[in-house]
Amino acid sequence: MSKADNFLKDFHWLMDVLQFIDVGLVILDRDFKIQLWNAFMQNHSAMDSADVLGKDIFETFPELPENWFRGKANSVFSLHNSAFTTWEQRPYLFRFRSYRPITSSAEYMFQNSTIIPLKDTTGNVDHICLILYDVTEVAMNRLKIQAANAELHRISRTDGLTGLLNRKTWEIELETEFKRYTRYGQMSSLIMFDIDHFKRINDGHGHPAGDEVIRQTAATAAACIRDVDIAGRYGGEEFAILLTNTPPEGAKVVAERIRQRIEQLEVFYEGQAIKFTVSLGISGLSPNFSETTHWIDAADKGLYEAKRGGRNNSVIFTGE
Amino acid sequence: MGQAGDKLARLLDTFVVLSIPHIELMQPSDIMMALNSVDANTSVSGVCQGFIGGGISGEAMLLFNDTSFADLAKIMKYEGELDEQAERELLMDTTNVLFGACLNGIAEQIDMEFSYGPPMVLGQHQPISALFDSQTAKWDQALVTEISYELENYNVHCDLLIVMTESSLELLFKKLDYLLA
Repeated sequence: MSKADNFLKDFHWLMDVLQFIDVGLVILDRDFKIQLWNAFMQNHSAMDSADVLGKDIFETFPELPENWFRGKANSVFSLHNSAFTTWEQRPYLFRFRSYRPITSSAEYMFQNSTIIPLKDTTGNVDHICLILYDVTEVAMNRLKIQAANAELHRISRTDGLTGLLNRKTWEIELETEFKRYTRYGQMSSLIMFDIDHFKRINDGHGHPAGDEVIRQTAATAAACIRDVDIAGRYGGEEFAILLTNTPPEGAKVVAERIRQRIEQLEVFYEGQAIKFTVSLGISGLSPNFSETTHWIDAADKGLYEAKRGGRNNSVIFTGE
Repeated sequence: MGQAGDKLARLLDTFVVLSIPHIELMQPSDIMMALNSVDANTSVSGVCQGFIGGGISGEAMLLFNDTSFADLAKIMKYEGELDEQAERELLMDTTNVLFGACLNGIAEQIDMEFSYGPPMVLGQHQPISALFDSQTAKWDQALVTEISYELENYNVHCDLLIVMTESSLELLFKKLDYLLA
Protein backbone atom coordinates (compact mmCIF):
# COMPACT_ATOMS: atom_id res chain seq x y z
CA MET A 1 0.00 0.00 0.00
CA SER A 2 1.24 3.48 -0.77
CA LYS A 3 1.82 6.12 1.84
CA ALA A 4 -1.16 8.07 0.63
CA ASP A 5 -3.39 5.06 1.04
CA ASN A 6 -2.17 4.54 4.56
CA PHE A 7 -2.77 8.15 5.37
CA LEU A 8 -6.28 7.98 4.04
CA LYS A 9 -7.00 4.87 6.03
CA ASP A 10 -5.68 6.41 9.24
CA PHE A 11 -7.59 9.54 8.54
CA HIS A 12 -10.75 7.53 8.09
CA TRP A 13 -10.31 5.85 11.45
CA LEU A 14 -9.68 9.14 13.15
CA MET A 15 -12.79 10.62 11.65
CA ASP A 16 -14.78 7.65 12.86
CA VAL A 17 -13.48 8.19 16.37
CA LEU A 18 -14.41 11.87 16.30
CA GLN A 19 -17.80 11.03 14.90
CA PHE A 20 -18.77 8.31 17.33
CA ILE A 21 -16.95 9.14 20.55
CA ASP A 22 -19.49 9.63 23.34
CA VAL A 23 -18.76 13.29 23.93
CA GLY A 24 -20.01 16.23 21.96
CA LEU A 25 -17.56 17.88 19.57
CA VAL A 26 -18.25 21.20 17.90
CA ILE A 27 -15.69 23.17 15.92
CA LEU A 28 -16.30 26.88 15.46
CA ASP A 29 -14.48 29.47 13.42
CA ARG A 30 -13.87 33.07 14.47
CA ASP A 31 -17.33 34.10 13.30
CA PHE A 32 -18.87 31.37 15.47
CA LYS A 33 -20.01 29.42 12.43
CA ILE A 34 -20.28 25.70 13.03
CA GLN A 35 -17.61 23.71 11.20
CA LEU A 36 -17.97 20.29 12.80
CA TRP A 37 -20.90 18.67 14.53
CA ASN A 38 -20.33 15.09 15.57
CA ALA A 39 -22.78 12.24 16.13
CA PHE A 40 -23.22 12.98 19.83
CA MET A 41 -24.35 16.51 19.01
CA GLN A 42 -26.49 15.33 16.10
CA ASN A 43 -28.25 12.72 18.16
CA HIS A 44 -28.92 14.83 21.22
CA SER A 45 -29.95 17.95 19.34
CA ALA A 46 -31.86 16.03 16.66
CA MET A 47 -30.12 18.23 14.13
CA ASP A 48 -28.12 16.78 11.31
CA SER A 49 -24.73 18.13 10.28
CA ALA A 50 -26.31 19.37 7.10
CA ASP A 51 -28.75 21.48 9.15
CA VAL A 52 -26.12 23.28 11.17
CA LEU A 53 -22.80 23.33 9.31
CA GLY A 54 -21.81 26.84 8.31
CA LYS A 55 -24.56 28.33 10.49
CA ASP A 56 -24.10 30.84 13.28
CA ILE A 57 -24.18 28.89 16.54
CA PHE A 58 -26.05 31.59 18.46
CA GLU A 59 -28.81 31.74 15.85
CA THR A 60 -29.10 27.99 15.71
CA PHE A 61 -29.11 27.57 19.50
CA PRO A 62 -30.66 30.62 21.13
CA GLU A 63 -30.31 29.01 24.59
CA LEU A 64 -26.56 29.51 24.39
CA PRO A 65 -25.74 32.68 26.40
CA GLU A 66 -24.08 34.67 23.67
CA ASN A 67 -22.12 37.35 25.55
CA TRP A 68 -20.85 34.91 28.05
CA PHE A 69 -19.82 32.38 25.45
CA ARG A 70 -18.11 35.01 23.31
CA GLY A 71 -16.11 36.13 26.34
CA LYS A 72 -14.96 32.60 27.01
CA ALA A 73 -14.15 31.93 23.37
CA ASN A 74 -12.25 35.19 23.00
CA SER A 75 -9.93 34.28 25.83
CA VAL A 76 -9.24 31.00 24.01
CA PHE A 77 -8.56 32.79 20.73
CA SER A 78 -6.28 35.35 22.32
CA LEU A 79 -4.50 33.34 25.00
CA HIS A 80 -4.39 30.00 23.17
CA ASN A 81 -5.46 28.48 26.39
CA SER A 82 -8.39 26.21 27.20
CA ALA A 83 -11.51 27.45 28.93
CA PHE A 84 -13.75 25.35 31.12
CA THR A 85 -17.26 25.42 32.42
CA THR A 86 -18.89 22.98 34.79
CA TRP A 87 -22.49 22.12 35.46
CA GLU A 88 -22.19 23.78 38.83
CA GLN A 89 -21.81 27.16 37.15
CA ARG A 90 -24.20 26.51 34.33
CA PRO A 91 -26.21 23.32 34.34
CA TYR A 92 -26.04 23.13 30.57
CA LEU A 93 -24.97 25.00 27.43
CA PHE A 94 -27.24 23.18 25.01
CA ARG A 95 -30.69 22.34 26.22
CA PHE A 96 -30.71 18.63 25.51
CA ARG A 97 -33.60 16.80 27.07
CA SER A 98 -32.66 13.93 29.30
CA TYR A 99 -33.05 10.83 27.16
CA ARG A 100 -33.24 8.05 29.75
CA PRO A 101 -36.75 7.77 31.16
CA ILE A 102 -35.92 4.93 33.54
CA THR A 103 -32.54 5.64 35.07
CA SER A 104 -32.43 9.41 35.01
CA SER A 105 -34.65 11.77 36.94
CA ALA A 106 -33.10 14.88 35.41
CA GLU A 107 -35.09 17.01 33.05
CA TYR A 108 -32.09 18.15 31.05
CA MET A 109 -28.63 16.82 30.41
CA PHE A 110 -26.13 18.36 32.81
CA GLN A 111 -23.00 19.32 30.91
CA ASN A 112 -19.38 20.13 31.54
CA SER A 113 -17.55 21.69 28.66
CA THR A 114 -14.06 22.57 27.58
CA ILE A 115 -13.14 24.97 24.81
CA ILE A 116 -9.74 24.27 23.31
CA PRO A 117 -7.80 26.29 20.74
CA LEU A 118 -7.08 24.59 17.41
CA LYS A 119 -3.80 25.67 15.88
CA ASP A 120 -3.34 25.64 12.14
CA THR A 121 -0.08 24.68 10.46
CA THR A 122 1.38 28.11 11.12
CA GLY A 123 0.45 28.18 14.78
CA ASN A 124 -2.47 30.57 14.38
CA VAL A 125 -5.72 29.90 16.15
CA ASP A 126 -8.66 30.53 13.86
CA HIS A 127 -10.81 27.71 15.15
CA ILE A 128 -11.86 26.49 18.54
CA CYS A 129 -13.28 23.16 19.56
CA LEU A 130 -16.05 22.89 22.11
CA ILE A 131 -16.04 19.56 23.89
CA LEU A 132 -19.25 18.70 25.69
CA TYR A 133 -19.47 16.04 28.39
CA ASP A 134 -22.68 14.48 29.64
CA VAL A 135 -22.34 14.62 33.43
CA THR A 136 -25.99 14.12 34.30
CA GLU A 137 -25.32 11.14 36.51
CA VAL A 138 -22.50 12.82 38.44
CA ALA A 139 -24.55 15.97 38.85
CA MET A 140 -27.65 14.15 40.05
CA ASN A 141 -25.62 12.17 42.57
CA ARG A 142 -23.92 15.32 43.82
CA LEU A 143 -27.24 17.13 44.14
CA LYS A 144 -28.69 14.21 46.07
CA ILE A 145 -25.74 14.18 48.44
CA GLN A 146 -26.04 17.92 48.96
CA ALA A 147 -29.74 17.58 49.72
CA ALA A 148 -29.04 14.72 52.12
CA ASN A 149 -26.33 16.72 53.86
CA ALA A 150 -28.61 19.71 54.20
CA GLU A 151 -31.25 17.47 55.72
CA LEU A 152 -28.73 15.91 58.11
CA HIS A 153 -27.55 19.37 59.06
CA ARG A 154 -31.12 20.40 59.80
CA ILE A 155 -31.84 17.26 61.80
CA SER A 156 -28.68 17.64 63.83
CA ARG A 157 -29.64 21.19 64.78
CA THR A 158 -33.31 20.81 65.59
CA ASP A 159 -35.42 19.06 68.15
CA GLY A 160 -37.47 16.29 66.58
CA LEU A 161 -40.69 16.92 68.46
CA THR A 162 -41.00 20.68 68.15
CA GLY A 163 -38.80 21.66 65.23
CA LEU A 164 -37.16 24.33 67.42
CA LEU A 165 -33.38 24.33 67.80
CA ASN A 166 -32.11 21.59 70.07
CA ARG A 167 -30.41 22.58 73.27
CA LYS A 168 -26.84 22.18 72.02
CA THR A 169 -27.37 24.27 68.91
CA TRP A 170 -29.32 26.88 70.80
CA GLU A 171 -26.51 27.20 73.34
CA ILE A 172 -24.01 27.76 70.53
CA GLU A 173 -26.24 30.55 69.19
CA LEU A 174 -26.46 32.01 72.69
CA GLU A 175 -22.68 31.93 72.99
CA THR A 176 -22.33 33.76 69.67
CA GLU A 177 -24.78 36.44 70.73
CA PHE A 178 -22.99 36.81 74.06
CA LYS A 179 -19.66 37.34 72.28
CA ARG A 180 -21.28 39.88 70.00
CA TYR A 181 -22.48 41.75 73.08
CA THR A 182 -19.07 41.81 74.74
CA ARG A 183 -17.67 43.22 71.51
CA TYR A 184 -20.36 45.61 70.30
CA GLY A 185 -22.50 46.11 73.41
CA GLN A 186 -25.74 45.43 71.58
CA MET A 187 -28.53 44.70 74.06
CA SER A 188 -30.29 41.35 73.79
CA SER A 189 -32.73 39.56 76.03
CA LEU A 190 -33.45 36.04 77.02
CA ILE A 191 -36.77 34.41 77.85
CA MET A 192 -36.82 31.08 79.67
CA PHE A 193 -40.24 29.58 80.12
CA ASP A 194 -41.93 26.33 80.97
CA ILE A 195 -45.35 24.78 81.06
CA ASP A 196 -47.11 25.06 84.43
CA HIS A 197 -47.91 21.76 86.14
CA PHE A 198 -46.82 19.80 83.12
CA LYS A 199 -46.65 16.62 85.16
CA ARG A 200 -50.40 16.83 85.75
CA ILE A 201 -51.01 16.93 82.00
CA ASN A 202 -48.82 13.88 81.51
CA ASP A 203 -50.40 12.02 84.40
CA GLY A 204 -53.94 13.01 83.56
CA HIS A 205 -53.95 12.67 79.77
CA GLY A 206 -50.96 10.46 79.01
CA HIS A 207 -47.58 11.15 77.50
CA PRO A 208 -48.76 11.45 73.88
CA ALA A 209 -51.06 14.24 75.04
CA GLY A 210 -48.11 15.83 76.84
CA ASP A 211 -46.12 15.66 73.61
CA GLU A 212 -48.91 17.40 71.74
CA VAL A 213 -48.99 20.13 74.40
CA ILE A 214 -45.23 20.62 74.05
CA ARG A 215 -45.52 20.73 70.26
CA GLN A 216 -48.27 23.34 70.28
CA THR A 217 -46.55 25.41 72.93
CA ALA A 218 -43.46 25.51 70.73
CA ALA A 219 -45.51 26.42 67.66
CA THR A 220 -47.30 29.19 69.55
CA ALA A 221 -44.07 30.66 70.84
CA ALA A 222 -42.46 30.41 67.39
CA ALA A 223 -45.40 32.34 65.92
CA CYS A 224 -44.91 35.17 68.43
CA ILE A 225 -41.27 35.95 67.66
CA ARG A 226 -39.39 37.56 64.78
CA ASP A 227 -37.26 35.71 62.24
CA VAL A 228 -34.09 36.98 63.89
CA ASP A 229 -35.05 35.61 67.31
CA ILE A 230 -33.76 32.20 68.21
CA ALA A 231 -36.03 29.72 69.95
CA GLY A 232 -34.87 26.39 71.33
CA ARG A 233 -36.18 23.51 73.37
CA TYR A 234 -34.07 23.71 76.47
CA GLY A 235 -35.34 20.65 78.30
CA GLY A 236 -38.48 18.50 78.58
CA GLU A 237 -41.12 21.19 78.93
CA GLU A 238 -38.71 24.09 79.15
CA PHE A 239 -38.04 26.51 76.31
CA ALA A 240 -35.60 29.32 75.71
CA ILE A 241 -35.86 32.28 73.37
CA LEU A 242 -33.04 34.62 72.51
CA LEU A 243 -34.31 38.01 71.34
CA THR A 244 -31.55 39.83 69.55
CA ASN A 245 -31.22 43.57 69.75
CA THR A 246 -34.09 43.79 72.24
CA PRO A 247 -34.16 45.34 75.74
CA PRO A 248 -35.87 43.40 78.55
CA GLU A 249 -38.96 45.62 78.33
CA GLY A 250 -39.38 44.57 74.71
CA ALA A 251 -38.89 40.97 75.69
CA LYS A 252 -41.57 41.38 78.33
CA VAL A 253 -44.05 42.40 75.61
CA VAL A 254 -43.19 39.26 73.64
CA ALA A 255 -43.38 37.11 76.78
CA GLU A 256 -46.82 38.46 77.63
CA ARG A 257 -48.01 37.79 74.10
CA ILE A 258 -46.84 34.18 74.36
CA ARG A 259 -48.39 33.82 77.80
CA GLN A 260 -51.78 35.15 76.69
CA ARG A 261 -51.94 33.08 73.53
CA ILE A 262 -51.13 29.93 75.41
CA GLU A 263 -53.67 30.77 78.07
CA GLN A 264 -56.28 30.92 75.32
CA LEU A 265 -54.99 27.82 73.59
CA GLU A 266 -56.94 24.59 73.73
CA VAL A 267 -55.09 21.45 72.78
CA PHE A 268 -57.40 18.69 71.64
CA TYR A 269 -56.19 15.21 72.18
CA GLU A 270 -58.43 12.18 71.59
CA GLY A 271 -61.55 14.24 72.08
CA GLN A 272 -60.36 15.95 75.25
CA ALA A 273 -59.60 19.65 75.44
CA ILE A 274 -56.50 20.44 77.48
CA LYS A 275 -55.99 23.94 78.84
CA PHE A 276 -52.72 25.01 80.37
CA THR A 277 -50.54 28.02 81.11
CA VAL A 278 -46.86 28.96 81.05
CA SER A 279 -44.57 30.98 83.30
CA LEU A 280 -41.79 33.06 81.84
CA GLY A 281 -38.58 34.60 83.15
CA ILE A 282 -36.78 37.40 81.34
CA SER A 283 -33.26 38.72 81.59
CA GLY A 284 -31.52 41.41 79.59
CA LEU A 285 -27.80 41.09 78.94
CA SER A 286 -25.71 42.82 81.54
CA PRO A 287 -22.02 43.68 81.85
CA ASN A 288 -22.14 41.76 85.13
CA PHE A 289 -22.39 38.48 83.28
CA SER A 290 -18.99 37.03 82.54
CA GLU A 291 -20.37 33.97 80.84
CA THR A 292 -23.59 32.74 79.29
CA THR A 293 -24.55 30.56 82.25
CA HIS A 294 -24.95 33.72 84.37
CA TRP A 295 -27.39 35.01 81.82
CA ILE A 296 -29.36 31.76 81.78
CA ASP A 297 -29.33 31.73 85.60
CA ALA A 298 -30.78 35.24 85.68
CA ALA A 299 -33.62 34.32 83.32
CA ASP A 300 -34.18 31.17 85.36
CA LYS A 301 -34.50 33.24 88.51
CA GLY A 302 -37.09 35.36 86.74
CA LEU A 303 -38.93 32.16 85.86
CA TYR A 304 -38.75 31.06 89.49
CA GLU A 305 -40.24 34.35 90.65
CA ALA A 306 -43.01 34.02 88.06
CA LYS A 307 -43.79 30.58 89.44
CA ARG A 308 -43.76 31.84 93.00
CA GLY A 309 -46.00 34.74 91.99
CA GLY A 310 -48.74 32.27 91.13
CA ARG A 311 -47.73 30.99 87.66
CA ASN A 312 -49.24 32.09 84.32
CA ASN A 313 -47.04 35.10 84.70
CA SER A 314 -43.89 36.74 83.32
CA VAL A 315 -41.15 38.43 85.33
CA ILE A 316 -38.07 40.42 84.38
CA PHE A 317 -35.24 39.49 86.68
CA THR A 318 -33.40 42.64 87.65
CA GLY A 319 -30.63 41.39 89.95
CA GLU A 320 -30.12 40.30 93.50
CA MET B 1 6.60 34.07 35.06
CA GLY B 2 7.43 37.41 33.52
CA GLN B 3 5.97 36.23 30.23
CA ALA B 4 2.84 35.06 31.94
CA GLY B 5 2.54 38.40 33.67
CA ASP B 6 3.00 40.19 30.37
CA LYS B 7 0.27 38.17 28.66
CA LEU B 8 -2.01 38.76 31.57
CA ALA B 9 -1.36 42.48 31.63
CA ARG B 10 -2.27 42.68 27.96
CA LEU B 11 -5.44 40.69 28.35
CA LEU B 12 -6.63 42.55 31.42
CA ASP B 13 -5.30 45.90 30.29
CA THR B 14 -3.71 46.74 33.61
CA PHE B 15 -0.27 46.44 35.15
CA VAL B 16 0.47 43.24 36.94
CA VAL B 17 2.83 43.31 39.89
CA LEU B 18 4.55 40.00 40.43
CA SER B 19 6.54 38.83 43.38
CA ILE B 20 9.78 36.96 42.91
CA PRO B 21 8.79 33.31 42.82
CA HIS B 22 9.59 31.36 45.92
CA ILE B 23 10.53 27.79 45.08
CA GLU B 24 11.00 25.07 47.63
CA LEU B 25 10.63 21.34 48.21
CA MET B 26 7.85 21.05 50.71
CA GLN B 27 5.89 18.56 52.74
CA PRO B 28 2.12 18.90 53.04
CA SER B 29 2.47 20.47 56.47
CA ASP B 30 4.96 23.03 55.09
CA ILE B 31 2.43 24.09 52.52
CA MET B 32 -0.10 24.61 55.24
CA MET B 33 2.40 26.78 57.10
CA ALA B 34 3.27 28.77 54.01
CA LEU B 35 -0.40 29.34 53.30
CA ASN B 36 -1.09 30.42 56.83
CA SER B 37 1.73 32.92 56.74
CA VAL B 38 0.08 34.51 53.70
CA ASP B 39 -3.49 34.79 54.85
CA ALA B 40 -3.59 33.62 58.44
CA ASN B 41 -6.89 34.89 59.76
CA THR B 42 -8.66 36.13 56.72
CA SER B 43 -11.15 34.19 54.71
CA VAL B 44 -10.10 33.32 51.21
CA SER B 45 -11.47 31.78 48.06
CA GLY B 46 -9.45 29.13 46.31
CA VAL B 47 -9.39 27.31 43.02
CA CYS B 48 -7.33 24.34 41.89
CA GLN B 49 -6.49 23.01 38.47
CA GLY B 50 -4.58 19.85 37.65
CA PHE B 51 -2.11 19.52 34.81
CA ILE B 52 -0.22 16.58 33.40
CA GLY B 53 2.01 15.94 30.45
CA GLY B 54 5.12 14.03 29.45
CA GLY B 55 5.86 12.73 32.93
CA ILE B 56 5.34 16.00 34.73
CA SER B 57 2.21 16.57 36.68
CA GLY B 58 0.84 18.61 39.48
CA GLU B 59 -1.78 21.01 40.57
CA ALA B 60 -1.93 24.75 40.60
CA MET B 61 -3.80 26.50 43.36
CA LEU B 62 -4.91 30.08 43.37
CA LEU B 63 -5.97 31.87 46.54
CA PHE B 64 -7.83 35.14 46.43
CA ASN B 65 -8.20 37.23 49.49
CA ASP B 66 -11.74 38.22 49.91
CA THR B 67 -11.81 41.91 49.37
CA SER B 68 -11.52 41.81 45.65
CA PHE B 69 -14.56 40.37 43.90
CA ALA B 70 -16.09 43.63 42.71
CA ASP B 71 -12.77 44.69 41.23
CA LEU B 72 -12.22 41.30 39.72
CA ALA B 73 -15.59 41.56 38.01
CA LYS B 74 -14.60 44.94 36.62
CA ILE B 75 -11.36 43.63 35.22
CA MET B 76 -12.88 40.53 33.71
CA LYS B 77 -15.64 42.73 32.24
CA TYR B 78 -18.20 40.70 34.03
CA GLU B 79 -21.72 42.04 33.89
CA GLY B 80 -24.61 41.34 36.13
CA GLU B 81 -25.06 40.90 39.82
CA LEU B 82 -22.30 39.34 41.89
CA ASP B 83 -24.06 36.52 43.66
CA GLU B 84 -22.32 33.37 44.81
CA GLN B 85 -22.85 31.72 41.46
CA ALA B 86 -21.35 34.67 39.62
CA GLU B 87 -18.41 34.78 42.00
CA ARG B 88 -17.82 31.14 41.36
CA GLU B 89 -17.72 31.65 37.65
CA LEU B 90 -15.49 34.66 38.06
CA LEU B 91 -13.12 32.58 40.15
CA MET B 92 -13.01 29.85 37.54
CA ASP B 93 -12.43 32.27 34.68
CA THR B 94 -9.75 34.29 36.40
CA THR B 95 -8.01 31.15 37.49
CA ASN B 96 -8.13 29.73 34.05
CA VAL B 97 -6.54 32.82 32.58
CA LEU B 98 -3.86 33.02 35.25
CA PHE B 99 -3.04 29.33 35.24
CA GLY B 100 -3.12 29.14 31.48
CA ALA B 101 -0.72 32.04 31.16
CA CYS B 102 1.60 30.67 33.78
CA LEU B 103 1.56 26.95 33.04
CA ASN B 104 1.72 27.40 29.29
CA GLY B 105 4.77 29.57 29.92
CA ILE B 106 6.42 26.85 31.93
CA ALA B 107 5.45 24.17 29.42
CA GLU B 108 6.94 26.21 26.60
CA GLN B 109 10.20 26.74 28.49
CA ILE B 110 10.70 23.05 29.06
CA ASP B 111 9.32 22.15 25.65
CA MET B 112 6.29 20.14 26.65
CA GLU B 113 2.56 20.37 26.37
CA PHE B 114 0.28 19.85 29.33
CA SER B 115 -3.29 18.77 29.41
CA TYR B 116 -5.43 20.51 31.95
CA GLY B 117 -8.37 19.35 33.98
CA PRO B 118 -11.21 21.72 34.65
CA PRO B 119 -10.58 24.17 37.48
CA MET B 120 -12.22 23.19 40.74
CA VAL B 121 -13.47 25.71 43.24
CA LEU B 122 -12.18 24.59 46.63
CA GLY B 123 -14.28 26.99 48.59
CA GLN B 124 -15.49 30.56 48.78
CA HIS B 125 -14.94 32.89 51.72
CA GLN B 126 -13.46 30.29 53.99
CA PRO B 127 -10.44 30.01 56.23
CA ILE B 128 -7.46 28.44 54.52
CA SER B 129 -7.65 25.36 56.68
CA ALA B 130 -11.00 24.55 55.06
CA LEU B 131 -9.48 24.61 51.59
CA PHE B 132 -6.46 22.43 52.08
CA ASP B 133 -6.14 19.56 54.49
CA SER B 134 -2.51 18.60 54.92
CA GLN B 135 -3.52 15.60 57.01
CA THR B 136 -5.10 13.74 54.16
CA ALA B 137 -2.35 14.40 51.63
CA LYS B 138 -0.88 11.12 50.42
CA TRP B 139 2.52 12.40 49.35
CA ASP B 140 5.77 13.14 51.15
CA GLN B 141 7.18 16.05 49.28
CA ALA B 142 6.56 18.17 46.25
CA LEU B 143 8.11 21.10 44.49
CA VAL B 144 6.18 24.20 45.37
CA THR B 145 6.43 27.48 43.51
CA GLU B 146 4.71 30.42 45.08
CA ILE B 147 4.05 33.70 43.33
CA SER B 148 1.86 36.55 44.38
CA TYR B 149 0.06 38.70 41.89
CA GLU B 150 -1.29 42.15 42.37
CA LEU B 151 -3.15 44.20 39.82
CA GLU B 152 -2.28 47.84 39.88
CA ASN B 153 -5.12 50.21 40.81
CA TYR B 154 -7.37 47.34 41.75
CA ASN B 155 -7.88 45.65 45.04
CA VAL B 156 -6.98 42.27 43.65
CA HIS B 157 -4.38 40.23 45.36
CA CYS B 158 -3.84 36.56 44.85
CA ASP B 159 -1.29 33.89 45.53
CA LEU B 160 -0.50 31.23 43.02
CA LEU B 161 0.94 27.95 44.16
CA ILE B 162 2.20 25.43 41.67
CA VAL B 163 2.68 22.08 43.32
CA MET B 164 4.58 19.57 41.21
CA THR B 165 4.45 15.95 42.27
CA GLU B 166 7.43 14.06 43.52
CA SER B 167 7.46 11.80 40.49
CA SER B 168 7.87 14.78 38.17
CA LEU B 169 10.97 16.08 39.86
CA GLU B 170 13.62 13.92 38.22
CA LEU B 171 12.45 14.75 34.73
CA LEU B 172 12.00 18.39 35.62
CA PHE B 173 15.55 18.70 36.93
CA LYS B 174 16.86 17.02 33.79
CA LYS B 175 15.03 19.55 31.68
CA LEU B 176 16.36 22.39 33.80
CA ASP B 177 19.93 21.13 33.55
CA TYR B 178 19.52 21.08 29.82
CA LEU B 179 18.12 24.60 29.81
CA LEU B 180 20.91 25.98 31.97
CA ALA B 181 23.73 24.11 30.28
